[in-house]
Amino acid sequence: MSVYQRVVDWIDLRLGVRDILEQNLTHYLLPRNINVWYTLGAVLLTLFGIQFITGILLLVYYVPDTGQAFDSVQQIMNEIPFGWLIRYLHVVGSNLIVIALLLHMLSVLFMAAYKTPRELTWVSGFLLLNLTLGLCLTGYLLPWSQLSFWATTVATDAAGAVPVIGDDIVRFLRGGAMVNEATLGRFFALHVMGMPLLFGLLVGVHLFCVRRAGISRPPFGDGYVPRGPRYTFEHEHHYGGIPFFPNYAVKDAAVISFFLVLLAAIVFFWPTLFMPPAGFEPADPFTTPEHIKPEWYFLWAYQTLRIFPDKFLGLAVQVAAMTFLALLPFIDRSRERRPARRPLFLICFVAGIGVFVALSIWGHYA
Amino acid sequence: MSDPSKSPPKRRAFLVTLLSGLAGLFAAAVLYPLWRFLSPRKGTGEQEKVRLERASVPLGGAHFFNFRGGPAVVVQPQAGSFIALSAVCTHLGCVVKWQEENDEFFCPCHAGRFSPRGEVLGGPPPQPLPELNVEVEGDQILIG
Amino acid sequence: MAKQVIVLILASVLFAPWSALAAESSCVECHRPQPGALGDPVGQWEGSIHQRHGINCSSCHGGDPTIMSMEAMSLEKGFLGVPAEDDIPSFCGSCHAGVMEDYLLSAHGQALGAGGPHCVTCHGNHAVELASLDIINRDLCTRCHEYGQADEMKSAMAKVDDKISSLQEETRRLRKLGFATEKIKNSIFSVRNQFHQLFHTVNVETVRSQTEEFSQELEKIDQQVAAMHQEVKNRKLLGGGVVVVLGAICILLVLLRKTYKDEEERVHPPGPPSMRP
Repeated sequence: MSVYQRVVDWIDLRLGVRDILEQNLTHYLLPRNINVWYTLGAVLLTLFGIQFITGILLLVYYVPDTGQAFDSVQQIMNEIPFGWLIRYLHVVGSNLIVIALLLHMLSVLFMAAYKTPRELTWVSGFLLLNLTLGLCLTGYLLPWSQLSFWATTVATDAAGAVPVIGDDIVRFLRGGAMVNEATLGRFFALHVMGMPLLFGLLVGVHLFCVRRAGISRPPFGDGYVPRGPRYTFEHEHHYGGIPFFPNYAVKDAAVISFFLVLLAAIVFFWPTLFMPPAGFEPADPFTTPEHIKPEWYFLWAYQTLRIFPDKFLGLAVQVAAMTFLALLPFIDRSRERRPARRPLFLICFVAGIGVFVALSIWGHYA
Repeated sequence: MSDPSKSPPKRRAFLVTLLSGLAGLFAAAVLYPLWRFLSPRKGTGEQEKVRLERASVPLGGAHFFNFRGGPAVVVQPQAGSFIALSAVCTHLGCVVKWQEENDEFFCPCHAGRFSPRGEVLGGPPPQPLPELNVEVEGDQILIG
Repeated sequence: MAKQVIVLILASVLFAPWSALAAESSCVECHRPQPGALGDPVGQWEGSIHQRHGINCSSCHGGDPTIMSMEAMSLEKGFLGVPAEDDIPSFCGSCHAGVMEDYLLSAHGQALGAGGPHCVTCHGNHAVELASLDIINRDLCTRCHEYGQADEMKSAMAKVDDKISSLQEETRRLRKLGFATEKIKNSIFSVRNQFHQLFHTVNVETVRSQTEEFSQELEKIDQQVAAMHQEVKNRKLLGGGVVVVLGAICILLVLLRKTYKDEEERVHPPGPPSMRP
């Protein structure tokens, strides 16, 4: 008996790991018609892992002080061996995450996987999306560049549209009247501790929901029939399906490596794709750079604020749209999941994407 | 390599072999930058001498300073003669104190005692304090 | 919020286009409609580098542009009017002090008042533009002397001039890639400033020896820039390797997936999947 065998036996005797692995890997069966979109969860988990690791590495040299933050980032970019690589991985990685998150959400929408009994999976996923955007926003300030400073000024300023208490909210977000040391302090704490902790917890909840309810069967093919109503909890089994490991895990790995190719290609050949020149100028509270624009994934919100003559109205529309998305499973309650039989939904789906893209492009060129 | 005539398990074994090779290469491409990123940096001041004001070392007294990242001390037992030593006790690494009344170094951790030249006078230290080179240049002292 | 408003107001005052303020000055108001030498300078000045940087009539000619009467041009208000030819260097030199010094020491400056050229001879007056080496040209120089020496100086300086512009351009590009170019930018700027002192010496020997020195200094800076370019290349090389390896891994994984897919289809041929047993 090999040493490896003996070690596994020893652990197995005490913790029954073979059983756990069987249940969750080799005997965990997935629907036979499972498609490539189901890999996005694994892709996101990997990308977040990269953010987590590169984030800790950046923390080794980053100094969260308005006087030193920019220089410490410059040092990472120029003096620390491969510091540029770690930083660009973190920057580009965050953008790829938003792309993957949007694709993940769109595929779940299209296949109506958010419907009962998976409302909680959807809601936890939606919270994760918002937390990710929060991480993007707080992380943006940390390099203390012109881009950081003014993007944060503009973003926090949007909260001023709330009637009566708007100014107080802005002050609270910034920790003062203007973006300053206090803002950096609270954004730093949120970005490296508060939000990641909450994020980890929510990922746990999300995965638990996915695993407990069982993978949803893609609503395609002749054999698909919507499930009838359930009155007790029931895990959705896929008898005769394909094992998660190794069959589907290989597909996960293939798509993950595809995203890694994308990440590496941008980091090495087009590193400033998501980094305008203002990102390399130290923050100057007395000079607003020209043509300051938010990140691409906030452009839709930025443009919405500009379309409406009243700032509050713009903000209200955004909040309404986000709330609608968050509560979608409670609004759209029919059992039908096949896209072809949900024409109204399909129209809204395509129109929604269209509006998002149009607003973003408009915001970019406005 | 994806010859359909071959059975899936055979193709699979071949692919897995290739993959593990590439995965090794990729792991190296990840680990090397990581290693370099975290390696201590060769500070520009590592080999430089430390320059002190002569007046900062009182006669019969000691002056503690930072020498290439570690604590060090310079004493002036007689006028014009300076001795520089590492201030790290050779026993367990505490920083020694200068006791002007006894003219000796005392380690507060386990009562090790050293002479102004760094020799062990008593207590557990196994070795004398390492001595550093001193040059006097006008009203300045060069150490290192 | 209040602080923000103050900053915004401050910013708008600091960065307001000066032409808007200058246009309201009494000089422009009264002189613009006047014919000939009294009115022409207004149009010449508009669009000039002086106008673009907020240097207006009173900056050079004195007087008080806020007074809407002839009193604006009174001596008490520091009005200087049109300088005599001999006074032109000190007129311009009130701002361009270093250049005036260089000029007065040069052969050109020594000949001031004896038919020698002054600032306006070469640079023009109201329509002044950013000075460049093109000011040294056959037409201008041969008005007083042979072009030979001037041409020699020009070609010696052109090399340094080109090098400075190209280095400045390259550092701007590298900065956009995240390189710390502040130091290099400063050393280029310092060489540039020293180099510009040469322009008014009009001494072939000085120009020849000094341009040599500047070239050497620029060479050193060029090496630093070249090292950064090399770094960019190295990153792409490394990146190429990583992308190829990852791409190969991706393809192999797709093929690996296919081996499982083949097996799956052998057990359950494609077609309507069987319902739950």
